[in-house]
Amino acid sequence: MSYIAALNKRLNVLYDGKVFAAEENGCLHLKGELSDWQDIVRAGLISVNPRKYIGLVNEIRLTGAQIPAVKLPKSADNTLEGARPDVLVIGGGIIGCSIARELKRYKMDVMIAEKEHDVAMHASGRNDGMVHPGVDLRRGQLKKKYNDIGNRMFKTVCAELGVPFRYVGQYLCFTSVWKKPLIAAAPLYWKAMNVPAEYVNRRNLKKREPNLSPQISCAVFFPMAGIVCPYGLTIAFAENAVNNGAKLCLDTAVLAMEVENGKIQSVLTNRGRVYPKLVINAAGVFSEDIAKLAHDHFFSIHPRRGTNIIFDKKAAYQVRTIASSMGTLDKKSGHSKGGGIVSTVDGNLLVGPDAIETYERENFETTAESIRNITDKQKRTSPHLDNRDIITYFTGIRAATYEEDFIISFGKFTSNLIHAAGIQSPGVTAAPAIASDIAKMAADYLGAAKNEQFDPIRVPIPMPVSMPQEKRDALIQKDENYGVIVCRCEEVSRGEILDALRRPVPCDTVDGVKRRVRAGMGRCQGGFCGPLVTQIIAGELDIPLEQVRKNKDDSNIVFGNNKEAL
Amino acid sequence: MTVLRYNVTVIGGGPAGLAAALSAAKEGAEVLLIEREARLGGILKQCIHDGFGLVRFGEKLSGPEYAHRFIEQLPNPNITLSMLTFVTKIEKQSDGFVITMVSKDGIRDIFTKSLVLASGCRERTSRQIGIHGRHCAGIFTAGTAQYYTNILGKMPTKRCVILGSGDIGLIMARRLTLEGAEVVGVYEAKPTASGLMRNVYQCLEDFNIPLYTSKTVTRVFGEGRLCAVEVSDVDACMTPIPGTEKIIECDALILSVGLIPENELAESIGLPMDYRTKGPVTDQNSMTMVNGVFCCGNALHVNDLVDYVSESGEAAGRAAAGYLQKKRSFAELKADDSFLYIVPQMISLTERKEPVTVYFRSKTERGKTRLTVTVDGSEIYKKSYSQLRPPEMERIEIDFKGMQIRPDSRICFALAEVD
Repeated sequence: MSYIAALNKRLNVLYDGKVFAAEENGCLHLKGELSDWQDIVRAGLISVNPRKYIGLVNEIRLTGAQIPAVKLPKSADNTLEGARPDVLVIGGGIIGCSIARELKRYKMDVMIAEKEHDVAMHASGRNDGMVHPGVDLRRGQLKKKYNDIGNRMFKTVCAELGVPFRYVGQYLCFTSVWKKPLIAAAPLYWKAMNVPAEYVNRRNLKKREPNLSPQISCAVFFPMAGIVCPYGLTIAFAENAVNNGAKLCLDTAVLAMEVENGKIQSVLTNRGRVYPKLVINAAGVFSEDIAKLAHDHFFSIHPRRGTNIIFDKKAAYQVRTIASSMGTLDKKSGHSKGGGIVSTVDGNLLVGPDAIETYERENFETTAESIRNITDKQKRTSPHLDNRDIITYFTGIRAATYEEDFIISFGKFTSNLIHAAGIQSPGVTAAPAIASDIAKMAADYLGAAKNEQFDPIRVPIPMPVSMPQEKRDALIQKDENYGVIVCRCEEVSRGEILDALRRPVPCDTVDGVKRRVRAGMGRCQGGFCGPLVTQIIAGELDIPLEQVRKNKDDSNIVFGNNKEAL
Repeated sequence: MTVLRYNVTVIGGGPAGLAAALSAAKEGAEVLLIEREARLGGILKQCIHDGFGLVRFGEKLSGPEYAHRFIEQLPNPNITLSMLTFVTKIEKQSDGFVITMVSKDGIRDIFTKSLVLASGCRERTSRQIGIHGRHCAGIFTAGTAQYYTNILGKMPTKRCVILGSGDIGLIMARRLTLEGAEVVGVYEAKPTASGLMRNVYQCLEDFNIPLYTSKTVTRVFGEGRLCAVEVSDVDACMTPIPGTEKIIECDALILSVGLIPENELAESIGLPMDYRTKGPVTDQNSMTMVNGVFCCGNALHVNDLVDYVSESGEAAGRAAAGYLQKKRSFAELKADDSFLYIVPQMISLTERKEPVTVYFRSKTERGKTRLTVTVDGSEIYKKSYSQLRPPEMERIEIDFKGMQIRPDSRICFALAEVD
């Protein structure tokens, strides 16, 4: 029996004849309708077969619930009408921004279209910032290839971009006593996989991470695990790209494409029609939509939600590196996201994430249930975690394909298109390597020459709090704004906030400032500095206070003068 | 550059710090008063309602008027004022402290013999009480909403729900109503209001603003700006009861769910803290367990009347000015489980000062109650109350004069029902 026939037999039994599979142009398409999203995802996971098919396209319709449409920017104009960039990068996440920067190493006009009001607004700004050593990756995966290369590029890339980064190492902890000999031998396997690893017995673990659970019997240490601020890095990529001449178009959404003879002729945005020679799809959870518009629909995204919790710096003593426990891996789903405890570059503890399949691609809600599950689970690794030290939590949505691997390739049916799709964990780690490869592919395609003027260096916003006293004093003598502390929890000065508003990637929102200089990231969550930051933004942009927004359309903070605003 | 030297350095120019600086100066000390904001007065600057000063001045003053009573005593030849100045580090030395501070003038160190922490408190946030849903604009702590309304003259809401019946929440319910906003209701997870009864009457009842007890906000909705909240009934453990959810359309959620003393500086120099007050452990002279470091006002424990904050500041300032570098021995004041907390937690046997002022709150709402204090089993003080409520702080004075108190003496505070 053929694969399809066998699969259809199975689907028929499982879903009562409501679902069937068919081959179209080398892709496996699933059709039919189901009322439970989890069933739709499961059907996809059962059916996927990357060896036989180009990709799995899950077209099973969800009945009984409306999948929310893409949220589009409210504004529209004609400012981009007729633009003819060499490359249009769709998506201003870490993938899109790092690609744009790499593209500028070649002589090309680069335009980035991002539908949100800032970069890194989706998955890139909503993850744990871990630079993965590649513990759970397998040979043959693109994830593995790009993670291995990317991991080793981090030091250089972050130094060039002025982004804090540290290889802190990760402990994978075990409670089993009888498996100890097996675990002790396991580093050999990882070393063979090009992942440096070291066995650590209970006594040494106690010395190196004294506050982990006494239940832990031993651990494997991965020295190549690192931490970075993922949105900080994305902003840095974007700024460096812009400084090298890339054009970043925020609030710019792709609405349609004109495709003829297997080529994208033009791309319609809310700011006019653009005529790129080459399109790069880095649209995250929307990369399937872009593929569809480009007549190159050979994969599907099943979004997977994950929540992370940030703990007060007071809790930072509990874990100095990254710690996760074996046995907290989600056995049901089989994929990696067991989560862990990360000591962040900013000195907080970050705990999470969980993994929940969802059809809502932009629902960043948090739930009490997620917080409970995450803390219950991670307390097994770090028993001192105390919910009273939680300062905030956030949700991100991973863009997983059914193949559970990255897609880094030219279009299968459309020639002037490159996909950087299906990028989920370890997307942050892989980004520099993916960007470098895709830029080479683009340069080859367009026959572009090297750009001798490219400057890889980005000068970051000064951070007085981490400067030696003399240097900090000298900075304040030059500009007194660096001596006026606005955010007391994170010790952020007025000077830094003004800098955030004057950078190459424009920022004019309270969250934009927060993501660039950490004002409002601390334990009072902007209770004190919120109104001050709002005033600084209003002053700098010369707009009334009621026009200052938290992050996007209609997120104004106040309504207008007392009594008049009604 | 020579390092400037002071007898007393007061961190914080709100009501506690002002009182501390003035009283230390009165004792003849060279005082440095450090304030991180551009103006003195702390949170009083935005408290334009009246009711301040009844105990101290016998008058009902507004917050700025109350603060002015202290600010007008400046300049004072013994007080150096350092505004818009932020303390970044405190380092203990054998004979005092080196304080590193940042201002427009740069970063500099000063030396001080003693130190008064008067850094006030901050508000609990939506995340600390586990508000879930979309993280949209329009979620404010009551103090932040008050800043927008009273300092900036801008409306943070047109129609809001207030969660928590702390005093600032009650006051903001009235304030926003006066500005024309609609306050749909004040929701309180506890079975009774958390604020002073006078505020419940004057701020809610007089304005027909409903107070809903044993209910809480369980979720917020909204893309950009908040557009609705979900409220639920809660059980006796304050856990939401499924099936009781109700959606209320509004554009803001204002939180008055508790205040936390700001003691990150205190923690950085290793002061032992009291988990009940969330402030440092102190003796009857407001000195913490580190010699030379004093603490007062809302940084010590959250007060409900500013009059007591000033009193506490004055005592700390006076003690800091007279501070002698002596090794202390202590006896512990033990409060049983019927108390939310008592302050001070220790009495120093080295520098006895009588009578000892003790502030306390009962843990639960109580009817007729008798407070007794015993030393090694024998009663030395008693007082009867017709009622005790956690939101209302009580103040008593106890004279230990002539009593043999040793470090191992058992000084016990207890509350008991009276028939």
